[in-house]
Amino acid sequence: MITLQMEFKKIRRKKIGLTMFALLGIQFAWLLWSTNNPNEQELLQGWLGHLQSQPLICAIMMPTIMSVLASRLADIEHKGNTYKQLKTLKTAGALYRAKVLCGFLFLFLMTAANFLFLLLLGYKYGYVGNPDPKAYLAAFILQIACCLSLYLLQLDLSMLFFNQMIPLVVGLCGSMLGVILMYLKTYSFLPWGGFLSSALVMMDWNPDTRVITYYYRDYTPIELFAVAMIFVWIVFFYTAGKILFTRKES
Amino acid sequence: MSTQNLVETHNLTKEYGKVRCVDSVNMRVAPGAVYGFLGPNGAGKSTTLKMILGLAKPTAGDITLFGTPVNEKNRIGLLKQTGSLIESPSYYGHLTGEENLQIIQTLKGCSEKDIDKVLKIVRLDEARKKLVNHYSLGMKQRLGLAAALLGFPKLLILDEPTNGLDPAGIQEMRNLIRSLPEAYGMTILVSSHLLSEIDQMADHVGIIRKGELVYQDSLESLHAHAREQIALRVSHTAIAADLLRQNGMEVSQEEDYLLLPMLDDKQVAALCRQLISQNVSLYRIEKREKSLEDIFLSLTGKESSL
Repeated sequence: MITLQMEFKKIRRKKIGLTMFALLGIQFAWLLWSTNNPNEQELLQGWLGHLQSQPLICAIMMPTIMSVLASRLADIEHKGNTYKQLKTLKTAGALYRAKVLCGFLFLFLMTAANFLFLLLLGYKYGYVGNPDPKAYLAAFILQIACCLSLYLLQLDLSMLFFNQMIPLVVGLCGSMLGVILMYLKTYSFLPWGGFLSSALVMMDWNPDTRVITYYYRDYTPIELFAVAMIFVWIVFFYTAGKILFTRKES
Repeated sequence: MSTQNLVETHNLTKEYGKVRCVDSVNMRVAPGAVYGFLGPNGAGKSTTLKMILGLAKPTAGDITLFGTPVNEKNRIGLLKQTGSLIESPSYYGHLTGEENLQIIQTLKGCSEKDIDKVLKIVRLDEARKKLVNHYSLGMKQRLGLAAALLGFPKLLILDEPTNGLDPAGIQEMRNLIRSLPEAYGMTILVSSHLLSEIDQMADHVGIIRKGELVYQDSLESLHAHAREQIALRVSHTAIAADLLRQNGMEVSQEEDYLLLPMLDDKQVAALCRQLISQNVSLYRIEKREKSLEDIFLSLTGKESSL
């Protein structure tokens, strides 16, 4: 707990929260632009539409946002050459856990703000009915899981490499991969495809009527396996990162 | 004061690939000592100190701190009684000096009052609210020492603490380190590649060369090696050596010369008479002085830098 408290003390004046919410602001602006002036059909299916568009926006934005978050948290240690001192005060495992928890709190708050924004937007536009609490809760949890898997991957890279360009490039490539994957399949086993696999709602676009219909996804076994992979990645990246960080000599 | 060594290493070895950086080092640091760990650049000083602190994993051998063999479970507990400054100081540049120390103090679990005390000791109390990024290199080094002093540990491990300091800063750091055992009952293990520095700071010395600890004793003993000698070159070296030994003299041979401890003029005259009476011709009588540098170089290899 003390190690976690110190993580927050260390990032004082780094404006990490501000950076994160500025990046989230871009996501909000995109959402506003894509949902502006909804027609009758869109008002009818607005709540479902959010659950379909949200994972897609996240697939593009979150790999970059998570790489920035992880890099900001890890870079303060590289710059000040502090690991060699910290590792004489706390175990490498405890230091790694504190970094994970610190980042997790940020991504949890970001996801909460994200969903709050979706709800506010829906009520402001006057979508028909109310959001399905179960579906929204599931989407919330899945988004946190996807963000966490990406954050852990980026944190491992940021803690292991002194040069932060390497993890940042991985994050940017992850964002591009997120876009490409959307055109290929409805699921992916890759960490950057987690948002795609976890989208609870799909859409059907009729080219003749030009009407979009949203519907709850009926998961096939392989798609369910792709969702399970998100949690497998979390366990894998956490374990691998902890082992690598512990073994790394300062 | 207990005579148990604070630091003991047993055949401590570290290999990186096929390169053996530290080779079976058996270090002994007695309580209350300022132990100077001396060696040329790349001799294995930092690697040895990192292994003692658990920052590098030994390939072989073991380490005992405060009489307890160190393992992964008790390492952090034992290191709570230790302060360290390895190579360059660790710091968060975007935080003030005081905030940096607060982090270390909290993680170390020592009193908050220690921050004021250590800032005064290293004379940084006026710069405590300044961002460390705005500190000079010397100030950062002093902040590193302040962090190591937090909790006033029993053992302080300092790796090249005067690196990057100007002459005045070096002098100041040296005086400070020298004062710590008496003022706070600390034991200091300090490394340097500069003989003069260790000579002025330490009372015990360990000399490492290519990963091997080639000398370990008190600095006084090292100075004793640096004594003046009389060198003789004679016609019959073996006969002369026997004769001198029969007279109770300590004699050693170096190439064609016999080396004797320093003698006064009368003793030299008597010696010459005795050798001549035994038909041993005297070719040369020289006074030799072996400096501390000569000893260091002979121990570490002449190709190494000082």
